Amino acid sequence: MIDFLIRNGRAGIDFSATVGRSGVFLWHCIFGLSWKLKGLKLLARQMYNVGVLSLVIIIVSGLFIGMVLGLQGYSILIDYGSEQAIGQMVALTLVRELGPVVTALLFAGRAGSALTAEIGLMKATEQLSSMEMMGVDPLKRVIAPRLWAGFLSMPLLAAIFSMVGVFGGMLIGVDWLGVYEGSFWANMQSSVEFREDILNGVIKSIVFGFVCTWIAVFQGYDSVPTSEGISVATTKTVVYSSLSVLGLDFILTAVMFSSF
Amino acid sequence: MGPSGTGKTTLLRLIGGQLKPERGEILLDGQDVSKFKRKALFDARKKMGMLFQSGALFSDLSVYENVAFPLREHTDFSEEIIRDIVYMKLQAVGLRGARELMPAELSGGMTRRVALARTIALDPELILYDEPFAGQDPIAMGVLVQLIRLLNDALGLTSVLVSHDINESLSICDHAVILADGVVIGEGSPTDLKKSDSPLVRQFLNGLPDGPVPYHYPASDYQSDLMDQ
Repeated sequence: MIDFLIRNGRAGIDFSATVGRSGVFLWHCIFGLSWKLKGLKLLARQMYNVGVLSLVIIIVSGLFIGMVLGLQGYSILIDYGSEQAIGQMVALTLVRELGPVVTALLFAGRAGSALTAEIGLMKATEQLSSMEMMGVDPLKRVIAPRLWAGFLSMPLLAAIFSMVGVFGGMLIGVDWLGVYEGSFWANMQSSVEFREDILNGVIKSIVFGFVCTWIAVFQGYDSVPTSEGISVATTKTVVYSSLSVLGLDFILTAVMFSSF
Repeated sequence: MGPSGTGKTTLLRLIGGQLKPERGEILLDGQDVSKFKRKALFDARKKMGMLFQSGALFSDLSVYENVAFPLREHTDFSEEIIRDIVYMKLQAVGLRGARELMPAELSGGMTRRVALARTIALDPELILYDEPFAGQDPIAMGVLVQLIRLLNDALGLTSVLVSHDINESLSICDHAVILADGVVIGEGSPTDLKKSDSPLVRQFLNGLPDGPVPYHYPASDYQSDLMDQ
């Protein structure tokens, strides 16, 4: 019994210490980025690594998910004679839910894991320590640009994902299954609202980007500096980010869209 | 100097403020390093240089960019001046011709020499060397030994060097300290140490396996370990 209490108590203390460390870490990083030319160059480079290099997986996934939505939507709506509403269904599903959520999951797998591995390896090979000993703060020089790049890239990637998804839905609905193009776009325009749908989707993607990038850079910085430690940290990044995104999505959806 | 695992690198990290001591003080220019706030510590480190055992070069930067890194971060020098300084530092370690190479293309010894060039790029007042001679061929080792002493005298700086290479270290140092089991077992000038009749010091300087400093990590009886079912 005592052993059980000791084990759980220690786990609780470790968890609290990690949460505290990650909070202090976030504070230093958020306010650590220099917005002068040197800092902006670092930010631009990381936005390329985190954002631009994620474009292929985002575009391909967005296209296929939009196409699948088009097929599934058509097969359901045709039973009710409402196949003209396929544009509305595809757009709302993407903008409200799948755009932010799937982009965040892909982002965690592609960019998040890469960030964790890169920072973890820099720690294991003493690159961060050597930077510290040169009087250069690695939180400002290495971590802050990556964190901000993640924050800024995620909403843009989610927007691209949704746009490509709508295009994929149109390819299937209009070009393949023969839904009237005018109805496809008109239904979409009349039902998708800027504040209710698009803005809420953007807010979701900002929150997901913030959480995923924070988890990724912290796991790398806090990793045990061995090959096994980096492997564990990378796995944690993907698992924690995915669960956080799904949990937060439920909470945000409840707050944004529930009428009770 | 001292056997492996005795705390030599830990001591360097304590001096550099990367580790906090549990007790005692570490004075740098009369100020306790362990009491510095984060910003003050980073400012103090601009006057220090540390050569890491692994070299710790930035793997995404070329040799040239690695040496230029501290100059770009801490000075507003023009590109021409940075280039001249980088070439001079690389020339000092014999690797000016390797400036376009990436760290992955260097041998272990070359990596440490580039790291040394980067360490001295800003002409620090204190340099901490962690095993600078490990993995060097005899020619590079001879040059490095002379270079470390030359830098120390020419720039009027303080050098703290951790090494297993007894002869090379004693040939250039003013004062040597031998650590074992986390405590000082002998110190003094190289001449004093060579004359020392302390069994601890003699064992270390002569590289003897048997003596007061144990070669084996503490363990249970060997025979009973083997016979244990």
